[in-house]
Amino acid sequence: MDKTENRNILIKGGTIIDPAEGGVFASDIYIKDGIVTEIGKNIKAGSTAVKIDAEGLSVSPGFVDMHVHLRDPGFEDKETIESGALAAVKGGVTAAACMPNTRPAIDSEHTVKYVLEKSIDAACRVFPVAAMTRGLKGKEITEMGLLAEAGAVGFSDDGKCVGDSRLMYEIMRYSKQFGLPLILHEEDILMSGDGLMHEGRYSSMLGLEGISPLADDLMIARDIILAARSGAKIHITHLSTKSGVEMIRKAKKDGINITCDVTPHHLFFNDSFLTSFNTSLKVKPPIRSEEDRQALVGGIKEGVIDAVASDHAPHLDTEKNTTFRLAEFGTIGLETLFSASFSKLCGEEKMSLPGLIKLITASPAKILGIDAGKIEVGRLADIAVIDTGTEKTVKREDFISKSKNSAFIGQKLKGKVVCTISKGKLIYRSN
Amino acid sequence: MLSNKSLLDIDSLEPGDIELILSNADSFGEISKRKVKKVPTLRGKTVFNLFFEPSTRTRTSFEIAAKRLSADIVNFSAPDSSLKKGESIIDTLRTILSMKVDLVIIRHPDSGTAVMMDRLTDIPVINAGDGKNRHPTQALLDLYTINKEFGKLKGLKAAVVGDFLDSRVARSDVALFKKMGMDVTIVSPTMFLPEDFSEIKVRHCIDDVIEDCDILYMLRMQFERQSRKFYPSVMEYKRFLGLDMDRLKRMKSGSIVMHPGPVNRGIEITDEVMDVKGKLADKIVIEKQVTSGVAIRMAILYLILG
Repeated sequence: MDKTENRNILIKGGTIIDPAEGGVFASDIYIKDGIVTEIGKNIKAGSTAVKIDAEGLSVSPGFVDMHVHLRDPGFEDKETIESGALAAVKGGVTAAACMPNTRPAIDSEHTVKYVLEKSIDAACRVFPVAAMTRGLKGKEITEMGLLAEAGAVGFSDDGKCVGDSRLMYEIMRYSKQFGLPLILHEEDILMSGDGLMHEGRYSSMLGLEGISPLADDLMIARDIILAARSGAKIHITHLSTKSGVEMIRKAKKDGINITCDVTPHHLFFNDSFLTSFNTSLKVKPPIRSEEDRQALVGGIKEGVIDAVASDHAPHLDTEKNTTFRLAEFGTIGLETLFSASFSKLCGEEKMSLPGLIKLITASPAKILGIDAGKIEVGRLADIAVIDTGTEKTVKREDFISKSKNSAFIGQKLKGKVVCTISKGKLIYRSN
Repeated sequence: MLSNKSLLDIDSLEPGDIELILSNADSFGEISKRKVKKVPTLRGKTVFNLFFEPSTRTRTSFEIAAKRLSADIVNFSAPDSSLKKGESIIDTLRTILSMKVDLVIIRHPDSGTAVMMDRLTDIPVINAGDGKNRHPTQALLDLYTINKEFGKLKGLKAAVVGDFLDSRVARSDVALFKKMGMDVTIVSPTMFLPEDFSEIKVRHCIDDVIEDCDILYMLRMQFERQSRKFYPSVMEYKRFLGLDMDRLKRMKSGSIVMHPGPVNRGIEITDEVMDVKGKLADKIVIEKQVTSGVAIRMAILYLILG
């Protein structure tokens, strides 16, 4: 990791993936002073340029992770904008949208500016998502206009769900004035109650309180109804249920302005993995049944699901190294975003690599309305070079995030990010 | 001598393990009938009774079992209130392991804690009840009691009555009874049943099973373990799930009534049934279960430590 490296870069012999067009072509890329100046065959570079031999490798736009928790401000022992951005870049992510459940919450101009200022020196670009309600309390609408002007790319009460339907309706109507998406964590909290894992065969077998899929589905249904009437742009994040996929498919057909994302861990695991009582698999929404998992994979294949996002949620060892009931919800995911998704979607489900790349570049960039997820001459270089031929068991020591609570530790994952150019600089290069 | 070093659940017990435990319980049960109720089998071994949840029966039963085998037993009880977030249960467990004990018996209000403890150490762990998950020694002592009453297990009809969802006893018993070829029915209202439970027969009223079952296993109504109270009332419970004299009389000859204790008198079983005299009293084997408990726990301690 070297954020100061400022030399010209030549990526030689790779296969470039263009997610916007779905195209794949062999080409070199030359980066001068951080800007892509040439894309073409047989580019020659001066001796001072850093050469990346990409023969047999894929060259993708840097990934866009539209759902991460950087815990900054307020929980800097778990993660900071600086450490989270480095973890992002190691995972090939060059643009990350951070959620507002910090302390204080990102619910004021001041905190939006704090995030933006701190991210100037960060390894990747950071896009703050601001709260929909003050303090994420679900009572009063935030200053959405001022927050948008300050640089918020969307609004969310992530981690919580606005239970007051009238308030949610007004949030939707008001958000239209600013054209920014509402990123919705869907959970009827009276339905989910004290639940710890997906309610089903395994929760009853293990004696762990269940979280019914109805908790998500009820709120997805409500918000589709509210969006139909308000015309707001809504994005359902970390979709986990089969019924959710079905409702969103229908809503899209009905012309509602709705998009959604899914996490790699919901694509990778099902609730049978919980029999180990592994607290890193304690997440919200919970890892659901195999039937739900397959519906999510199906939703990706048929294009109902628009993006894959990590929901990177760092927690301290002391918060995870306890009984299942007491452990916090969440898994880190920035560093495994690509390999976990690739293993399932391309390795197992035989999806095309450009198909996956679109879900983690152009598509989330479009939802957030940010200028990212493409490689073009004249632009600041954000590039991930990928080796799809590797396979490796994930170890705790592999992670550079401040927190180590990865659900993927012990899993064999295919594909890896070989190097990442972020903000025009070669910041990460694997050994 | 058991196939695993620890006893954490029912699922990982081999048929051979179960046979071995039952047959050893027979011989250890004899010791409790002697004038001098002590054998030197486990002399020099230290057993730690680690109870993070109030319990008299199970804790005492293990204590007596260990003492009759001449093991040294240490009791540690942490009140429920001290298990707040911020206090590391892992550190508590490590502290106890550092004292170089030979076996830990653990009870904890959270599911999965016995498994977690077992992962931390090479010494054997006995799960004495973890949350709503498992209570294997209870299931084994129930099985032992049934075997003594009927002289067989296979084909016996068992009805487990009450709050299945919140009960580690029910989970363990049903798993073990099915493993031994018994015919199990759960009698429970919808709110105490998982949604998808096709593999086990379910009824909603005790009258549906009362005349036909060999074993009527009454669960304790555990209001303290229910995360939310959905069941309407005690009156309703008694009407559909309670055992009263009328129902007791309708049970077939040779059938028995069991309960893991402590009984909520007047809820799942009426006072009259609990205090019944004469021939019907033979049906109530609740005290025999407690006696079996000591024998079973002696057998398990011996098989793990001996």
